[in-house]
Amino acid sequence: MSTAGSVRSGEASTYGPPAADERAPPNEPTHRRRASFFRWRGITPLAFGLLIVGALWLLFGERVLRSTVEEAGTKALGTELDIADLEIHVAQSAMELGGVAIADPFDPRRNLLEIKRLVVELEPAPLLEKKLIVRRLTIGDVRTGTTRVTPARAVATGGFAPSALREMQRWASQFDVPLLSLTPIDTIKSIVLDPTQLASVKAALALGLRAESTRTMLEQSYTKLQLQETLDSSRALLTRLQGVNVRTLGIAGARTAVTDIRRTATRVDSLRRRVETLAASGRVAVDSLQGALRSVDEARKSDYAFARKLIKLPSFDAPDVGAALFGKVTIDKVQQALYWTTLARQYMPPGLAPKQSDGPPRLRAAGTTVHFVASQAYPRFLLRRADVDVTVTDGPARGKYVAALTDVTSEPALVGRPTLFAIRRSTTGSAVDSLRITGNLDHAGARPRDVITVQAAGVELPDFPIPGLPYRANPGRGMSDMRLTLDGDQLSARWTIVSGKLRWAADSLATRRLNSIETLVARVLTGVSGLQLNAQLTGAVRSPKLTISSNLDRVVADQLRNVVGAQVAAAESKIRARVDSLVDEKSAPVKARIAELRTEADRRVADARAQLDAETQRLDAQVKALSGGLVALP
Amino acid sequence: MLALLKLLQSLVKTLHSEGTPTQIGLGVALGAALGMTPIVNAHNLLVLVLLAVLNVSFGAGMLAWAVFVPVGFMLDPLFHRVGHWLLIDATSLRPLWTTWDNTPVLALTNFNNTVVLGSVVIWLLLFVPIYLASRFAVVRYRATLGERVRQSHFYRVLSASQAYNVYRWFRP
Repeated sequence: MSTAGSVRSGEASTYGPPAADERAPPNEPTHRRRASFFRWRGITPLAFGLLIVGALWLLFGERVLRSTVEEAGTKALGTELDIADLEIHVAQSAMELGGVAIADPFDPRRNLLEIKRLVVELEPAPLLEKKLIVRRLTIGDVRTGTTRVTPARAVATGGFAPSALREMQRWASQFDVPLLSLTPIDTIKSIVLDPTQLASVKAALALGLRAESTRTMLEQSYTKLQLQETLDSSRALLTRLQGVNVRTLGIAGARTAVTDIRRTATRVDSLRRRVETLAASGRVAVDSLQGALRSVDEARKSDYAFARKLIKLPSFDAPDVGAALFGKVTIDKVQQALYWTTLARQYMPPGLAPKQSDGPPRLRAAGTTVHFVASQAYPRFLLRRADVDVTVTDGPARGKYVAALTDVTSEPALVGRPTLFAIRRSTTGSAVDSLRITGNLDHAGARPRDVITVQAAGVELPDFPIPGLPYRANPGRGMSDMRLTLDGDQLSARWTIVSGKLRWAADSLATRRLNSIETLVARVLTGVSGLQLNAQLTGAVRSPKLTISSNLDRVVADQLRNVVGAQVAAAESKIRARVDSLVDEKSAPVKARIAELRTEADRRVADARAQLDAETQRLDAQVKALSGGLVALP
Repeated sequence: MLALLKLLQSLVKTLHSEGTPTQIGLGVALGAALGMTPIVNAHNLLVLVLLAVLNVSFGAGMLAWAVFVPVGFMLDPLFHRVGHWLLIDATSLRPLWTTWDNTPVLALTNFNNTVVLGSVVIWLLLFVPIYLASRFAVVRYRATLGERVRQSHFYRVLSASQAYNVYRWFRP
């Protein structure tokens, strides 16, 4: 066996230090044979390596791809994606997936979709550009709302979808849905309020500190005037000149004395101007404190509302009652529609600008992947059309449906058409007469516009609990119409429910003894046999306004006003008195301090003015005395 | 430990192979790409093919791969910055990348990723310096320490390994 660096039989060593009698330089063969540029025998192990890679792909490729698709899909959707089986048909450039389950992001125990068989046929040429153009999508046996064997795991890792889900949950929590408070008024014996929670108390305490700092500032400014020093200097001059006249001083001495008196008078005048400036700034500072005092009083109004909410006084305003009854259920519905719309906007962004995303996960840094979009080119993903038969197995909307999607793409600007989808119920005679869901996601222009509508007629409407009462409302069969429009960042969502067969059922889980108001409201509600609900969410998507009106809230509000209106008014005045007492306790000393500050500032300024005036008069008299009345101060 | 021994074995075998310093230098410069750039990318397949079919030192390439892997990890932030500048900040290059990203086969290179592009560009810039430095190092080694090492017991133990037979397939 030969060893590395050994010399072949009959050949000279190719490197090494030269012998004493050799002239060839080291590292160079004495008789160099021209080496060929290519090493063709290297192709054999290369081909062998490729064969091994091919064999590994055949053995594990589909498994690796299935795991990758599951991971990427879970990250993209923000909810668990499971794939039971994946097969690649290279010849048809198609992929067949079996047992696909997408968990409901809002309920981990249910599947949003369960697809038994899904075949994706791709156009082969765009694959060379890493683009997926779906020629045909065949989906068979789709079920929705199925129960999961194991609950879906929470998707906590990065990615847009989980963050969108969190953002939607935060969005939903921003609504201050009023509580339907049905505490009897006569049980409100005392109002326990923490003064530090009251806005006006906080403002009064802050104002007290500000008044103290203003007082210190005025004090320092007054000290800086050096009033006493100036007066002392002037008095010393007058004392020195007392009893002297022109004869004793002489002309030159008299002139010097007059000059000294004038100089002193100038200093007194200058000091008077500074006193006036200080007086003006003092007035401004105290006026500002007085203005802040008014804002303390205004903050008191919000404290009344706060205290009212704290003791849960029932509201008679129908919109408040409506929001209390249907606010949560409305927000839940809109939140779900908004989540999918937000997701669509992320994955179907408008425009042709390069788009950045996280690089592929690997041991090395992932970096950022930039997708450059060229006009007249394939988009990165395009599903031209898909027709799907869906079977909903659970819930009031169970039955068969037909769904169609067109132009689902990652670059809507390239396709130039909106993504359209429609789902229509194809069976009759069960819990739903008709159901139609349509969507128009227009991201082709610079301002994306999404419209989603859900219309159901003769549908068994889902029941919902009544907040604060152990009852569930079952609207029975009725009509539900929901339309969500997201135009740019402007949201307009409307939800209408009409039912003529409203039934009331006691909530067995929340059964308890009702108090007098609850009994009244329960009696009022259970006497209503129809439901008309109109809910609206309008405004900027970040902070839309929720408006709800229904026949129930009008009835409840009227009855509450009739029965407990007087008691509520009494409780309200009790609240106001308690808030007033707490706020006055803190704000009265501040008011007194501000008044005292104004008096003190005025007194000091008046005192300074009087002293300076008297001093000017004395200086003037001295000048006249020296000059025999010929010279006076200006 | 075993990996270190293998690396040492590879180093010694490369230095004492029949390859000329030029062949070893080119092998190192090509193999550096495998270590410096993210491995699962089309350009590295090309580098592997070149290492196999060109008359350069395959062993040196494998050695450089191992040596440059930590270098690649270390320089990833730099690669990202360079790639980011080329792909995003240098707006004049945008038409080039747009064409590249929308051309069949070229789009498979993943050059639209900041780390991939940055590392490939830096490797290309360092190709000649790496080649010259490794060539110089081999020449100096062979002129000074080479013969003494070759006569040592340590060298004979290393070169007796069976793996050497496989290695010989690619010997220049």
